[in-house]
Amino acid sequence: MLAGCAESLSTVHPEGPAAGAIATLWWVMLAGATAIFLFVMVLLLLAFRRGEGPSGPDADSRRERVWIQSLGLGFSITILAALTAYGLFVGERLRPRPGPDVVTVRAEGRQWQWSFGYADAPGRATEGILHIPAGRPVDVEITSSDVIHSFWVPRLAGKLDAIPGHVNVLRIEADAPGDYAGLGAEFNGRDYAKHRFTVRAHDETAWNAFLRGETP
Amino acid sequence: MNALRRHRALERIWAPRPGWRGKLTTVNNNDIGLMFLFLAVTFFVIGGILAMLIRAQLATPRSVFMEPGIYNQVFTMHGVIMMFLFAIPLFEGLTVYLLPKMLGTRDLAFPRLSAFGFWCYAFGGSLLIFSLLAGIAPDGGWFMYPPLSSTLGSPGINPDFWLLGITFVEISAISASVEIVVTVLLYRAPGMSLDKLPIFAWYMLVVAMMILTGFPPLILGSLLLELERAFGMPFFQADAGGDSILWQHLFWLFGHPEVYIIFLPAAGVVSTVLPVMARTTLLGYGWIVTAAISLGVLSFGIWVHHMYATGIPHMGLAFFSAASTLVAVPTGVQIFAWIGTLWKGRPEMHMPMLWILGFFATFVMGGLTGVMVAVVPFDWQAHDTYFVVAHLHYVLVGGFVFPMLAGLYYWLPHFTGRKRYFKLGTTAFWLVFLGFHGTFLLLHWAGLLGMRRRIDSIESGSGWELISLLASIGGFVMAIGFALVLIDVGVAVAVAVRGRRNPWRAGTLEWAMPAPSPSYNLASIPEVRSRNPLHDDPDLPVRIARGEGYLGDPASGLREILTVEIASGRPTSLVIFPTNTALPIVMAFVTGGIFVGMLIKAYWLVPLSLAGVAMLAIWWAWSLGSRKDQGLRPVGHGLVLPLASEVKRPPGWWGSLFLLLANGVFFGSLLFGYAFLWTVAPNWPPPAWLEPGLPGPLLALGGAALALGGIRLADRTLRRGTGPWLGLLAGLTGLAALGGAGVTVLTGTTPDAHAYDATLWVVAGYVVFHAALAGLMTVFLALRAAGGYLSSRRIGAARVVRLWTDYAVAAALLGLGAAWVPGVLT
Amino acid sequence: MTDILRLSIPLTAWLVAFSAVYGLQGVVCSERWAEAGLDLAAGRVALTMAWAAAAALQVACLLALRSPRLASRSAFVRRASLTLGITALVATLWTLLPVVATSLCL
Repeated sequence: MLAGCAESLSTVHPEGPAAGAIATLWWVMLAGATAIFLFVMVLLLLAFRRGEGPSGPDADSRRERVWIQSLGLGFSITILAALTAYGLFVGERLRPRPGPDVVTVRAEGRQWQWSFGYADAPGRATEGILHIPAGRPVDVEITSSDVIHSFWVPRLAGKLDAIPGHVNVLRIEADAPGDYAGLGAEFNGRDYAKHRFTVRAHDETAWNAFLRGETP
Repeated sequence: MNALRRHRALERIWAPRPGWRGKLTTVNNNDIGLMFLFLAVTFFVIGGILAMLIRAQLATPRSVFMEPGIYNQVFTMHGVIMMFLFAIPLFEGLTVYLLPKMLGTRDLAFPRLSAFGFWCYAFGGSLLIFSLLAGIAPDGGWFMYPPLSSTLGSPGINPDFWLLGITFVEISAISASVEIVVTVLLYRAPGMSLDKLPIFAWYMLVVAMMILTGFPPLILGSLLLELERAFGMPFFQADAGGDSILWQHLFWLFGHPEVYIIFLPAAGVVSTVLPVMARTTLLGYGWIVTAAISLGVLSFGIWVHHMYATGIPHMGLAFFSAASTLVAVPTGVQIFAWIGTLWKGRPEMHMPMLWILGFFATFVMGGLTGVMVAVVPFDWQAHDTYFVVAHLHYVLVGGFVFPMLAGLYYWLPHFTGRKRYFKLGTTAFWLVFLGFHGTFLLLHWAGLLGMRRRIDSIESGSGWELISLLASIGGFVMAIGFALVLIDVGVAVAVAVRGRRNPWRAGTLEWAMPAPSPSYNLASIPEVRSRNPLHDDPDLPVRIARGEGYLGDPASGLREILTVEIASGRPTSLVIFPTNTALPIVMAFVTGGIFVGMLIKAYWLVPLSLAGVAMLAIWWAWSLGSRKDQGLRPVGHGLVLPLASEVKRPPGWWGSLFLLLANGVFFGSLLFGYAFLWTVAPNWPPPAWLEPGLPGPLLALGGAALALGGIRLADRTLRRGTGPWLGLLAGLTGLAALGGAGVTVLTGTTPDAHAYDATLWVVAGYVVFHAALAGLMTVFLALRAAGGYLSSRRIGAARVVRLWTDYAVAAALLGLGAAWVPGVLT
Repeated sequence: MTDILRLSIPLTAWLVAFSAVYGLQGVVCSERWAEAGLDLAAGRVALTMAWAAAAALQVACLLALRSPRLASRSAFVRRASLTLGITALVATLWTLLPVVATSLCL
C-alpha cells in the first residue's frame, strides 16, 4: 500500500481544524468504547465461573440495585451525558459563524461532476478543482442541479449534502497549502464511484493570483 | 372422553385440509407460522447470495465482473430483501407460531387475516424477485432517495417494483400487527394478568404497536413517490414546490423504528431463552418491560440522525443526538439485566447459549459504534462510509440473526419433537461468528480511511485493498457457516430420534403441549397463577391433555377460544373461529391487481381490483355472526360466557381501533408533509391558494353532523329493538356530503402544477375514500339489519361502523380544514 | 385498557412535545417566521417556553399516575407507569436541552 495515496481520503489523518477536532473525538470514543466493551465481556464471562448465588426476594432486590440501577441506569447515563455534551460542544465549534477573514465559494454537484464558483471572483468558474486560500476559514455554498450529492473532503472537514433547491453551507479550512482529495459522498447512480474532485489550497500570493485570473 | 379421543376430535375440528390444498386454504397459526418461516429463510438465502456477489466484486480491483447497472441492482436488492422480505417476516412467523401457545390460547385473533397477510407477503415478494431475475430490479439503494429514484434519476420501471411491491408486502406487517396487539390484549389463558404475561408477549406487544405507527409514514412516502412518477405530482421536486428532504423524513420516520422493530423481538428471545439456560428466572422483569416500552417509544424520536448531513441547523440535530444517546440507556438496562440473570443462576453451555454469547459480543460492539455515530460531528465524517455499513451489520446480524438462531435451537425440540442429531451446530457457530467479525470488523477502519458505501469497485492504491480482500474471505467463511446451520437443522428435522417434551425444563406454556404441536395447541385452557405455570405445576401438560382446563369438551364441533379482560385476565367471552377457506388467498390475489395495475400502467385494473376487494370483503364479513341471540354458553368449570359477537366491544371492534391508529398515523404524516413543504420547501407560496368557496365547507359541516348523528341514532334504535333505517339513511347522506366536500377540493386543484395542489389533491382523495368506505360499511350494516343479523345484543357491527364513520368525519374536518385555511387567511 | 394507557401516555406525551418543539425550531428558522415579523430572539423565547410547558406536562402526568384516584389497582402497573413517567420527564429535560444550549439556526 502506498502510504501517501492510502491516506489521501483518510479522516484520521486530518489536515484542517475541523477534521482535526473530529479525529480527536474519534480516538477518545474508541478508547472509551474499547474499555466499556472489555468491561462488559469480563462481567459476562465471570458469570460462568461463579456458582449459583443466593436466592429469594431480598437477594433479587440487591441484584436489581446493582445490575439495573447502578450499571444499567447510572453507569450508562453518566457516560452518555458526558459524550453527548462533548459532541455538541465540538459541533458548535464547527458552525460557519461570520468572521472578518471568511472566504465564500460555491460548489454545484451534478451527475457526475463538480463545478465551483468564487464570491471574490464573480464570473470565474472551475470544473473538478476547488481553489481556496490556505489557513483561512472558507464557507462552501453547496447545491445540486439534479439529484442529491454530498460534498466531502475527508482530511479537511465532515460532509454536507448538495440538495436541489437548497444551499447548504460547509465551513472548511486547510492548515497548509496543497491538494486535498474530495469525494461525492451520496450515491447518485452509475458513475458514483468516480464522482470526485480536488481542493487546491493556495498561500496568500497564489490565492490572489488565482482571483485575478492569472492562474487557471 | 380420554386424552386420545379428545385429541382426535380436536384435530378434526382444527386441522387444515390435507395436501397442498390445505396450505392454500389454511387459517391455522401453526401452518401460517411455518409458511412465514420457510419463505423468510428462502429470502435470507437469496439475500445472502447477493451479498456473496458483492463481496466477490469488491475482493480486489481486478475482480469486477458486474457492470455498475447490475451491481447497483444487486446491492439495492440485498438490502431490500434482508430488511423487508427476511427480517420482519421471520419474527412474524416465529410469533404467529409461538405467541398463542405462550399466551395459552389456540390461535391468533383473526385467523383469516393471518392467511391473507401471508399471501400478500408471498405475492409481493415474488414481484420483487421477478424484477431481480428480469434485470429490472430497483437500483437506487434500499432507501431510494429521490430525485435519483424519481423520474429524473430513474426513468425506467425499476423503482416502481420497490414502491409497489414493498407496499404490497407491508400489508402483511400491518395485518399481523393488528392481530398481535388484539391477541396479546384479549386472547390469553384465564388468570394471566398483565404482570404474568410471558416477557416475549410484552416485547411483541410493543413491536406490533411500533409497526402500526412506524410503517404508515413509509406507505405514505411510497404512495407520494409513485404518484409523482406515474402522474407528475411534484412532491419531491424543488422547482415545483416539492422537496426531496420530505422523502427522507418520511422514510426515516419509518426507518429508524424499523431497526428497533427488528431488534426487539430478538431481545424478547434473549429474555426468554437466557434465564432457562441459566436455570433461573429473569432478573428485573418489570424493569425489562419498562425498558422495552421505553425503547419502543424513544426510537420514534431519533430518525433525523440518518440526516445529519442534509443541512438541518445544529439545534435540530442536537435534539436528535441527545435522543439517540438516550435510547442507549434502556438498551443498556436490558444488557446488564441479562448479565445479572446469568450471575443469579447457573448458566449451561448448550447451543442456544453459544449463540447468545455471540449476540453479546457482537451486539455490544454494534451498540457502541451506534453511540459513536449518534454524535453529530463524528457522523459528518462516518456517514455514507463503510463505517456505517459495518455498524449496521453488527447490530442487525449480532442483534437479530444471532438471537434468532439461539431461538431456533431452543425451540427446535418444540417444533420437531426430536433431539439433535449432528453436532454440526458448534462448528457452524464458530464459522459464522469468526467469518462475521472477519468480514466486518476491519470495514469500520476502511470507512474511516474514506471508503464510501455503495461504490461498485475498489481502486488500486486506495487505503483499503487488503481490508476489502480480507472482508471477502470472511464473507465466504460466514456463508459456509450459515449453510452448515441449514444442514444441521434440516437433518435434525428429518432424521433425529424422538426426544423429551420439555428438554430445557422451561416454565412457559408453549412447553405444556405435545411436540410437534397439534393444530389446536392446547386440548383445554389452563388457569394461570404465575409467570412460569409449568414450574408451579409440572403435571400441567397431562392435566391439560385430560381436558381439566376450560373448553376441554369438543362436542360442539366448532373452533372455540376464550377472550379475557385486558388487565386482570378474567375470562369475558367465547369466540368461535372460522374454518379453512380459500378467501384469504383469493383476496390477496385480487389485492395484487391494484399494485400490478399501477406497475404495468394498466390503470383500469386498479379500480376494478378495488371493487373486487370490496366485494370479497363483504363476503368475508357476511360469514360471521348469526340470525338470533345465542345467550350465555358454558366453557367449562361451571362458567358461562357470552359469545364474542354479543358483547359491547367484540374483537373486531378492537381490530378496527388499532387499524385506525395506523390509519391515523398515515393521515398525520400527510398533514406533517403538508406543513413541512409549506415551511421548508423552496418555491412557496404556490401561484394560487385554493378558494374554499361556500358549498365545500357547508357540505363538510352538514355532512359531519348528519354522519355523526345518524350512526348514533341507528345504534340507539338497535338497542331499543327497532329498525335502524332512519339513522343509517342519515349517516349515509352525511357521508355522501362529506365526500362531496372532498370532491370540491379535487376539482379545484391541478395535481401536477405545484406540490401544494398535489398535496391538497391527496388529502381530498383520502377524505373521499374514507367517506366512501364508511358509506359502504353503512350499506352493509343496513343489509345485515334486513337479514336479521343485528339485535340489541348483536350490535358489535354497528359499533365498528361507528368507529369508521367517526374517523371519516375527523379526517374530513381536519384535512379539508387544512386545505381551506391558507385560502381563508390570505 | 386503561392500564395500557397509563403505561403508554408519558412517553407518547414526550414524543408529541419533542416533535412539536422540533417543528417549532423548523418554523423559527424558516422564512415564514421572518415574514410574520418575528426575530430569532423571539424564537428562542418561544422554544424555551415550549420546553418548559413540555416538562410541566410530564410533571402533571407523574402526579396523576401517583394520585390515588387515577393510579392503577395493580402494583405492577403502578410501578411500571411511574418508572415510565420518570423516564419521560428525564427524556423531556435531556432531549430538549439544546433549546438553551446551542446556536439557533446555524
